Amino acid sequence: MTQTVRRHGWAIGLFALLVLLLIITKLIQPGYGASGIGSLARAALPFAFATAAQVIVVIAGGIDLSIASMMAVTSVTAAAMMDGASEEFAVVVVLFVLLLGIAMGMINGILVVLTRVPDIVVTLAMLFVWEGVALLILRAPGGAAAEWLKGIIVGTAGIPGLPAEITAWIPKALLVLVVCLGIVWLPLRRSRLGLSIYAVGSDALAAFRSGVAVNRTKVVAYAVAGLFAAMGGLVLTMSTGIGAPIPGPYLLASVAAVVLGGVALGGGRGGLLGPIIAVFILRLVRTDLTLLSVDPNITTVIEGTIMVVVVILGGLVALRGRSA
Amino acid sequence: MKFLPYAAIGALALAGMGTAIAQDGSYTIGVSNTVQGNGWREEMVCAIKAQALASGKVESLNIAHRNTDAAGQLEDIRNLIQAGVDAIVVNPANPEGINPAIKEATDAGIVVVAVDQAVTEQSAFVLSNNQEEYAYLGAKWLFEQLGGDGTVVYMRGAAGASADDDRDAGFKRALAEFPGIKVAHEVFTGWQQDQGKQQILDYIATGIPFDGVWTSGIDNVIVDAFVESDVPLVPIVGADNAGFVGQLNSVEGLVGAAVTNPGSIGGAGVTLAVRILDGETPGSRTVLVDPELWENVTADGRAKLAAAADPSLDPEWPVSISVPEWTNYSKAQIIACAGPGE
Repeated sequence: MTQTVRRHGWAIGLFALLVLLLIITKLIQPGYGASGIGSLARAALPFAFATAAQVIVVIAGGIDLSIASMMAVTSVTAAAMMDGASEEFAVVVVLFVLLLGIAMGMINGILVVLTRVPDIVVTLAMLFVWEGVALLILRAPGGAAAEWLKGIIVGTAGIPGLPAEITAWIPKALLVLVVCLGIVWLPLRRSRLGLSIYAVGSDALAAFRSGVAVNRTKVVAYAVAGLFAAMGGLVLTMSTGIGAPIPGPYLLASVAAVVLGGVALGGGRGGLLGPIIAVFILRLVRTDLTLLSVDPNITTVIEGTIMVVVVILGGLVALRGRSA
Repeated sequence: MKFLPYAAIGALALAGMGTAIAQDGSYTIGVSNTVQGNGWREEMVCAIKAQALASGKVESLNIAHRNTDAAGQLEDIRNLIQAGVDAIVVNPANPEGINPAIKEATDAGIVVVAVDQAVTEQSAFVLSNNQEEYAYLGAKWLFEQLGGDGTVVYMRGAAGASADDDRDAGFKRALAEFPGIKVAHEVFTGWQQDQGKQQILDYIATGIPFDGVWTSGIDNVIVDAFVESDVPLVPIVGADNAGFVGQLNSVEGLVGAAVTNPGSIGGAGVTLAVRILDGETPGSRTVLVDPELWENVTADGRAKLAAAADPSLDPEWPVSISVPEWTNYSKAQIIACAGPGE
């Protein structure tokens, strides 16, 4: 028990902060309830997938600046392919787009490994490449999404064995997020490959001397990031019903959530849970600032300040914990 | 985490204010806009504030104004629904991409008015500038100036934006009518002043001759670039931004035209929302505001430009700071940019 608390201390702290924010939200807007939670979950979806993509690359000791552009590519590809196609064909589209994400991620990873140019430079270049590719696929926002796909993230789902009063508070969007992240992350985290990713991020040379295939591990980390980015692109198309070739504000938001979520930017440390909770915190702060009708030019200042304060406080707590 | 208790106290105080809505015809209006830091959009937001104040019927505004995409706008609109506003004035990031949230808003009894660009959701009202006509009007004038023969630099807006796509359709329509006109160079300014200026400076530096420039509203810096490079001016078409209108009146040898694209359409959106809340539903779901063209070649055009010029405005603000029959704020009010309670 104490070991679990120690390992997930940061995530538990963030979760407490999230609960506190939810209480504050309820105080600001007494009518805030299940529909508000549903909106929050849907707003968090693309940010959460972008963050998951960033988390795995950062843990492996890299950084991927092309995530938002890859989301744009997958989003426009999905929307363009589903335009005028049958509902059933959308299944093919989803699989194709997920593979496309993996392929793009692998290209990023292979370039990083082969060229030995720093990750930040390669992925910065790829940011422009993927952005151009997205514009080649769709010049302007357009396309369509299958109705069943759009329906996946709308409303709440009945879970067998749980009463309706509880399931009314569990939006489908949240379930989609948990299932999609869990399916990839949990097996990976427990596998030898997952351990290698942490090892490479922690100290690539030590990992190499311990027999870890460093290059292959890095490529896999980027490929998984591409997969998460593709999921992010898909949820963009699912929520808007179209594909937009101009990347949204997901890159910097993903880095922010990674930092706030307790993942070391140097690599090798951190998990997925903290950053995902951080995504919800950042979205809820945005909701609260809108509810309070704070001057929109001040909101970004407040958002940034909250991030810095939380990270500093967290650092202080961690320091004290170590010295005690 | 010291700030949190204070935030909670502030929150409670504001919650008391927020719940008192729609009494004595005083409404709460939400605003959603996805481009920040652009002169046109800033004027739109100021027009919304000024009109809300001038109408006397709006108790407070709740403005979600940031740089984001359609998915971010879905989030903002849903937050405004949670805030319990009576109406939402939205400049849509995309004509289709925000439909789900608009539907949720209108289902909740909230009046939604899309300004500047249209949305396809049938439950929303649309008060929009006709972007296709905007580009056609200016491009046609430019091609006529060149006698239907020559090459032009085509400086577009933001790649992938729907307004840019509509304008492209209008530009291409005019181009098809003039087979002798060729596009020498096509660039996206991203509707950014600095970027547009650098692009035209780069092109001038190549030394390739061209006969005219069509810009998607990044105009005064283009004239500046010609003047600073000390090269002969060519006919330039831009928007009715205060800086460019001033140049059309004063810069020696500049032949050009300004096409109107009022940012004050935001104020008109507030008026429409208030009218609907008061029970006056308009006959048509869509109201299109057609652009006008002011050129400095004929005496009539010069008179219009002289009347429109307003050096007291920010050079990036459109000079059409009001929409006749739709807005009733004063010039001082829009420049003050203050909404109810500010």
